Amino acid sequence: MAGFSGVLKLTDLDDFIAPSQECIKPVKVEQKSGRGVIRIDNDGTDALSTVPKYEKAKITLNDCLACSGCITSAEVVLVNQQSHDEFYRVLAENSNLQECERRTVVVSLSLQAILSISAKFFLRPHECAQKLAGYFKKLGVHYVFDINFARSLSLLEAQKEFLARYRRKDVDSKALPMLASACPGWICYAEKTHGSYILPYISNGRSPQQMMGVLVKDLWSTRKGITPDKIYHVTVMPCFDKKLEAARDDFYNDLYSTREVDCVITSVEVEQMLLRDQVELPSVDPVELDSDLSSGPVLTSHHGSSSGGYAHHVFISAARELFDLDQDKLQWKTLRNVDFREVTLEVNGETVLRFALAYGFRNIQNLVQKLKRGKSQYHYIEVMACPSGCLNGGAQIRPDGGTSAKDLVSKLEETYELLPAIKPNEDPRIPLCYSEWLGGADSAKAQKQLRTNYKAVEKSTNVLGIKW
Amino acid sequence: MATALETLTGHKDRVWNVSWNPQGTILTSCGSDRSIRLWAKEGDTWINKNVLSEAHTRTVRCVAWSPCGRNMASASFDATVNIWDCKANEIECIATLEGHENEVKCVAWSASGSLLATCSRDKSVWVWEVGDDDEYECSSVLPSHTQDVKKVVFHPNADILASASYDNCIKLYKEDADDWSVFCTLNGHESTVWSLAFDASGHRLASCSDDNTVKIWQEYKPGNTEGIATPNNEPVWKCVCTLSGYHNRTIYDIDWCHLSGAIATSCGDDAIRIFKEHPNSEKNAPVFDLILTIPQAHSEDVNSVSWNPAVIGLLASSSDDGTVKLWDFSKIF
Repeated sequence: MAGFSGVLKLTDLDDFIAPSQECIKPVKVEQKSGRGVIRIDNDGTDALSTVPKYEKAKITLNDCLACSGCITSAEVVLVNQQSHDEFYRVLAENSNLQECERRTVVVSLSLQAILSISAKFFLRPHECAQKLAGYFKKLGVHYVFDINFARSLSLLEAQKEFLARYRRKDVDSKALPMLASACPGWICYAEKTHGSYILPYISNGRSPQQMMGVLVKDLWSTRKGITPDKIYHVTVMPCFDKKLEAARDDFYNDLYSTREVDCVITSVEVEQMLLRDQVELPSVDPVELDSDLSSGPVLTSHHGSSSGGYAHHVFISAARELFDLDQDKLQWKTLRNVDFREVTLEVNGETVLRFALAYGFRNIQNLVQKLKRGKSQYHYIEVMACPSGCLNGGAQIRPDGGTSAKDLVSKLEETYELLPAIKPNEDPRIPLCYSEWLGGADSAKAQKQLRTNYKAVEKSTNVLGIKW
Repeated sequence: MATALETLTGHKDRVWNVSWNPQGTILTSCGSDRSIRLWAKEGDTWINKNVLSEAHTRTVRCVAWSPCGRNMASASFDATVNIWDCKANEIECIATLEGHENEVKCVAWSASGSLLATCSRDKSVWVWEVGDDDEYECSSVLPSHTQDVKKVVFHPNADILASASYDNCIKLYKEDADDWSVFCTLNGHESTVWSLAFDASGHRLASCSDDNTVKIWQEYKPGNTEGIATPNNEPVWKCVCTLSGYHNRTIYDIDWCHLSGAIATSCGDDAIRIFKEHPNSEKNAPVFDLILTIPQAHSEDVNSVSWNPAVIGLLASSSDDGTVKLWDFSKIF
């Protein structure tokens, strides 16, 4: 089963098992009082009515994520829980219900996925987003958004966190470097392999997908007067690892027993859906994206890398806030390879900011080893598991024969750069978000809704798990 | 001939690997007792000069010398590779390379000494760049095999890397822009490929396997006179000879002597065998003769064989029986 980023494939590679066959995770069954009483009956008949019902032990995706065992068995569970089949099932279920009982189905499109699909069908990105909206709405989806407004929030939170970390760097040895948190492949690898010594460096800001999750199932649902469990939220993403992210405990609403993102489907899965429905995307009637949570009337982007521009945004805002310097175009210098680049800011001959992009497993390795030995000189590092970043995500549509994967990614890069870029702090909806929805930029609610947590996954010591 | 020149004892458990420094003056051995031993000749006998007793926290699977002879790299089941400085009398660990998920099976230096390759049960092959100040940076992670990778070996004069695996194949890699990639996969063995060795020219590669055979692979460059197709303008490697019927058990190691051209194999039937190309053999269909078998070279599996790079015919072997042996085959060439 392909699709996950290289980083994830590398961890525990030889543990491919279907969960029902060989999983060694000890399953907890809810303890109920009264359980364990031995009943002795003469004939056994009158005991039936009071026998407690035991819960069936089930391995869920979350158990798999919490286990340091096989990532590949998580894959099997995932494919069932978050697939386009599941999406179709919910749509079909919905259409059989009375209007008032139906769930509101929301689709959020990531920019990288839109670009992948637009290249496949020779469409302009904005046109492609509108045709996708048209297609999804025909299937029974109620709202379609792009995810860039959510990304603006991620960028602003990253900026805020960085400034705080920079200011306490002299008293807190784990304040810097701050490592970007938007890539779930990297997060999963860090939690499973490097645990407690690397996690304090990782930004606790939510990724755009999970920002979108909380926007849809808190801000927007309240505004619409719909309870979160009555919304089915689907994201369209460039990578399978995003399914792992959506399934994390932090993004589960206990009160309503619902996930902020119910289902993640990927670029390749959208391609399969179009094929299955025999829809030619170019001939679909375009429909405008819903404006409530989209970035604007036309599809926009952010400055900087095509993986979200985190390093760019944080650098520019740190230069301005900390050193009163306005930076416009950043001079990125390629170091060891194209996936490892840095940019610096000098004040009076002293390097005050040193930022890097580190993409792909080899660069993550060097970064982690340097951090471990206290040899990293960086203040901020935009870490992504895939070489070339998110446009080259594991679930992007493969190039047609004749085009190399590399050429396709460069083409997507070019298209990305042509999109109109917005500055996160210039969106007038952002201050309203903080003041009205969150009750202030630093409120407890903002902390809860915009940030997340990581925890090291203990290596499994169960001898049954060792394979020779 | 059938008796060893020397039997070197000291290891407390099976000896996995033997290797020579580039000058041929020091022999290293390592094994399950987690130690590395260094042996050198004094007068007429080989003596144990050094013991790195806790070189790693688990089995030391392989030791390789840098081409300059100053550094040694050791690969261990503890998932790390240690780099040792051997310039002074005191041998010192100067770097530990971490990153593999589990057991590291082999380590190799490139001919220039600027690259290091490692492979592991985690199915990946890693290429490391040797920087200044003993900084080793990972320049590529290659999840190219589908199973445990047993062996990595560099080409004798070009930056080409070969790996052998439990998935029955051999992969050849080269640097492509700023990353490494597979340019050729050699299929043919029917079971685990345990080891590999290039000949002195680097145009041929010998492999040994759990299928009890040795195969000789030959390079065909684009525009070769034989008319062998070379897709993507990359050299292809073809099997030109299979030595079957000589070994009764798994062949664990193979070494191709760059001085004499002789091939030595070590086998699970406790024997060492020596092969040499027939003088009148054809380039594209070479014939290799078995010129010597030492049936009970060791009392258990022979894990490793290594030709001395300076003294013709001097072979070292190591075994599950806990010994290292030296053999003089100079008279048979």
